[in-house]
Amino acid sequence: MKKTRLIAFLAVFSLVVAACGGDDGSTATTAAGGSATTAAGGGDVVTIDYWLWDSNQQPFYEQCAADFEAANPNIDVVISQFGWGDYWDGLTTAFASDTAPDVFTDHLARYPELVASGVLVPLNEFSDRDGVTDIYFPGLADLWTDPEGNRYGWPKDWDTIAVAANAAKLDEAGVTADDLAGATWNPQDGGSFEDILKRLSVDANGVRGDEDGFDPSNVETYGFGLEGNFGAFGQTTFSAFAASTGFEFLDKNPWGTMANYDDDRLADTLSWFRRGIEEGFIAPLEDTQSLGGMTLYQNGTVATMTNGSWTIGGYTGLEGIDTVFAPLPEGPEGRASMFNGLADSITTSAENPEAAWEWVKHMASPECQEIVGGGAVVFPAVPSATEIAQETHAANGVDVSAFTVHVDEGTTFLFPITSVASEIEAVIGPVMDAILIGQETDPYAALDAANEQVNAVLGG
Amino acid sequence: MAAAVAEPTRRKLGDLKVALIFLFPALVGFVVFYLVPAIRGVYISLTDWNLLANEGEFIGIENYQAVFEDPLFWNALKVTGVYVAINIGSQTILAMAIAVMMDRLTRSVTVRGIMLLPWLVPNVVVALLWLWLLDKNVGVVNTWLEFVGIEPIAFFGRPNWVMPTIAGINTWRHMGYTALLIFAGLKTIPGSLYEAAAVDGATETEMFRRITLPLLRPVLALVLVITVIGSFQVFDTVAVATGGFGGRPGGPINASRVIYLYIFENAFSRNKFGYAAALAVTLFALLLVVTIFQMRMLRAGESDLS
Amino acid sequence: MSVGHGTMAATKQRPRMGRVAAWGFMTLIILVSLFPFYWAIRTAFSTNSALFTSGQSLLPIQPTTINVEKVLGLEPITAGGATFDFTTVLTNSVVVATVITIGQVIFSAMAAYAFARLEWPGRDAVFLVFLAGLMIPPIFTLIPNFVLIRNLGWLNTLPGIIAPFFLMTPFAVFFLRQFFLGINRSLEEAALIDGAGHFRTFFRIILPISSGPMFTLAILTYITAWNEFLWPLVVGREREVHVFTVALSFFTSQQPGIAPDWAGLMSGTMIAALPILVLFALTARKVVDSIQFSGIK
Repeated sequence: MKKTRLIAFLAVFSLVVAACGGDDGSTATTAAGGSATTAAGGGDVVTIDYWLWDSNQQPFYEQCAADFEAANPNIDVVISQFGWGDYWDGLTTAFASDTAPDVFTDHLARYPELVASGVLVPLNEFSDRDGVTDIYFPGLADLWTDPEGNRYGWPKDWDTIAVAANAAKLDEAGVTADDLAGATWNPQDGGSFEDILKRLSVDANGVRGDEDGFDPSNVETYGFGLEGNFGAFGQTTFSAFAASTGFEFLDKNPWGTMANYDDDRLADTLSWFRRGIEEGFIAPLEDTQSLGGMTLYQNGTVATMTNGSWTIGGYTGLEGIDTVFAPLPEGPEGRASMFNGLADSITTSAENPEAAWEWVKHMASPECQEIVGGGAVVFPAVPSATEIAQETHAANGVDVSAFTVHVDEGTTFLFPITSVASEIEAVIGPVMDAILIGQETDPYAALDAANEQVNAVLGG
Repeated sequence: MAAAVAEPTRRKLGDLKVALIFLFPALVGFVVFYLVPAIRGVYISLTDWNLLANEGEFIGIENYQAVFEDPLFWNALKVTGVYVAINIGSQTILAMAIAVMMDRLTRSVTVRGIMLLPWLVPNVVVALLWLWLLDKNVGVVNTWLEFVGIEPIAFFGRPNWVMPTIAGINTWRHMGYTALLIFAGLKTIPGSLYEAAAVDGATETEMFRRITLPLLRPVLALVLVITVIGSFQVFDTVAVATGGFGGRPGGPINASRVIYLYIFENAFSRNKFGYAAALAVTLFALLLVVTIFQMRMLRAGESDLS
Repeated sequence: MSVGHGTMAATKQRPRMGRVAAWGFMTLIILVSLFPFYWAIRTAFSTNSALFTSGQSLLPIQPTTINVEKVLGLEPITAGGATFDFTTVLTNSVVVATVITIGQVIFSAMAAYAFARLEWPGRDAVFLVFLAGLMIPPIFTLIPNFVLIRNLGWLNTLPGIIAPFFLMTPFAVFFLRQFFLGINRSLEEAALIDGAGHFRTFFRIILPISSGPMFTLAILTYITAWNEFLWPLVVGREREVHVFTVALSFFTSQQPGIAPDWAGLMSGTMIAALPILVLFALTARKVVDSIQFSGIK
């Protein structure tokens, strides 16, 4: 009796399962990423699973893949795109269950932890054998080697930071783009940059921030907006300002062993932001918190903000708002933009690392990067491809020199690379919030304490 | 003599055989998809498991010691507690009121359908919807507040506002659903009891206290146990609403870092799966205590009817 | 006489006042429940770029259907090319939710009967273990279940999405047990005395008598299955097996530019919610009726 019931149940279950499976028989085969299937013409076709997160770049990588497949008929590249929000959690789950892609777009803040977990394949042997060398913008390639000299990626693109300004708001305030481009800044009185921001700020009564009777508690337009919350590295926010005072995140970069969050120049910088919020020429953090700085900019609540070069298309695509880009203001130690870049890494899940390497090598080549450059979404790592991107931008009537000038003049500093970026983020992120909100009134002491915590993690 | 011996054994085993057959499919599902992973989770909590490498070494109760010394764990517990208190309190009272009024006022299917509407949409969508409605600068709610002379409020941007706001959003989502469950329970109470009470001259309030509440107990127990457990595990609404497009999930500062978000962060962002598992086991133990306490309090196993 | 008249008037007056207040409360609740949806629809039919500058008109701003067309794939999106493959997604969601509902309700009802009505040693302890299943943090089950589904070769298949919910959920068992507890024992005992076995009693008496709660549970299960996000996202990333929640998430994360396209987002949201709203509208009467007339007493 019991047995027959069990069999009946199993039969029903498998029927249901088979019925459902039947609808989607085709997906089972496409899902078999990384495994070798026999092609009709004989010989093994290797499938390479490739992940990226930027949908704007996908068409250009599809083009690269098509060219690559034409040259390597035995390799089939399957590109999957997942939004930034799903990308890293998805990747972690994939690693935990041995279903990771063969090759994926990697980020400087993430790769050291992946290396520490032993899930990335070093590229040195492949590179040495095939004579792949550093043909990229200086410094980019160095970011992808660990202290032992193992390489985990060849650069594909780079980004810098600049000021985006609403042209109409500049006009109304009588500020020219050149004023903005030539602005100076310091954490004490904010320099001419602060004057401009005050000039751009307007309260509900139409009084400007540099005029008498400006009401900082009832501001209609803020001179400056925060892109988002600061986090530990403030790539698009505080980092440019702090670094222009000579501040450095780590004792050495990459792979520092001590953090410098206790540097007074950082606390000075953050105090300036806090003062700006209190005096009404910088939009409060709470305004940025839910929908982000871009929405405030779109809404006309902020006149200028700092942001990364990957967002150029976002600004130029805004209907009804004319945006001009200006280089970052010059600080006590000159200009300073964070210099960051992406690369492609091979996972230890790759069943055919050789084919995976061929694909990585292709994406790192001028041939593919020039296609990506033609899309003018990002600046490729190969200089010739970046020229193409600049030309495409220029042809579209967009002047991107505010972003490239940092590279041309060497006013960049590298993204801080440590193996504990997410731990640092967890410690520093809330402290930054507390300072900006005004809940933490002594940034110097707070950052001293937080730095000790960070160093405990870094040292251990 | 033989019969006399057999009788008690049968009593003792009762309907065991039948019960096993009835239970079998559910038991398979439970063991495979719940029990085994849970046991594995407990084991992982005793290791320094790395999710990416998918391995870890046994380290005993080290993770648990760390949990109890972790100020962020206690903070998460506090934040979650505030959320549960506000959410369950408002949700249960509102749902009860809605259910009683539905019972008394209207048979309209449309009314009931409308109440259930918020529950039909996924959490993530609900969070986005309210992010859009409640934003300080472009949200329509703040426009209305300004219209009646109240300063715009950054609902998700202020440490004191963020948890009550999220609790309110989830009350909005769940009150109709909870009301439906309670309503179904109300329908199990024989109308004759109310008629008899009315004859005895009982007021509405008395009838509610003497008849409705006691007879509703099994369903109310179900509702409270389910919603309290669900409330403790609040996650996606918080992650989406506080992360937003410019925030930090769990922020501002640590004001919305609920326990489940903290677990997720440890597992997926900070790559400390062993520690995350220890946090999860701690949460599980806590929920178990709360539930057993609730079941006792509500005597959930009994109905005053039978 | 006059005293009597007075009391009569008072009793008449009070309930009427109460009724007005109660209706006022209900109206408020209805408005609060509906408004966010109205706002989403209003946003979906507005021009995105105008949303930020043109105030908070109650009607769509610069009305357009382009957002909905984009979601449905009738209008190309400039970059990324993300659309709903509407029919595929609809089919997947319907199959997933239907199969889960049928399996889960039947098997959970059987289990609930064993917990509520049968006498066997260890019953309450086993029930508590089942109940504890409610509290097992999903983070524990996600990865082992994922590995299991992978080993079965069910990744990116509908059975993979269905499997963990098909046989039971602790909630369903708990829900039905609580209702079965309330069923009058006499009917069932009469049947048992008449020689009907437990199976006949279960199928012929318990199930029909509790069709109200069963139907309620079925609806709840269907909606929960429809709204399930994390699991189908993890096991069903391929386009061919996308369910609505996953498709929506892919749609939103592939929006061009960096500022959220609220009009597009709300269109996607409303279109994803539409099928379940229609289903609910069609069955609502049945749900309510079954609760009213064949309720458990």
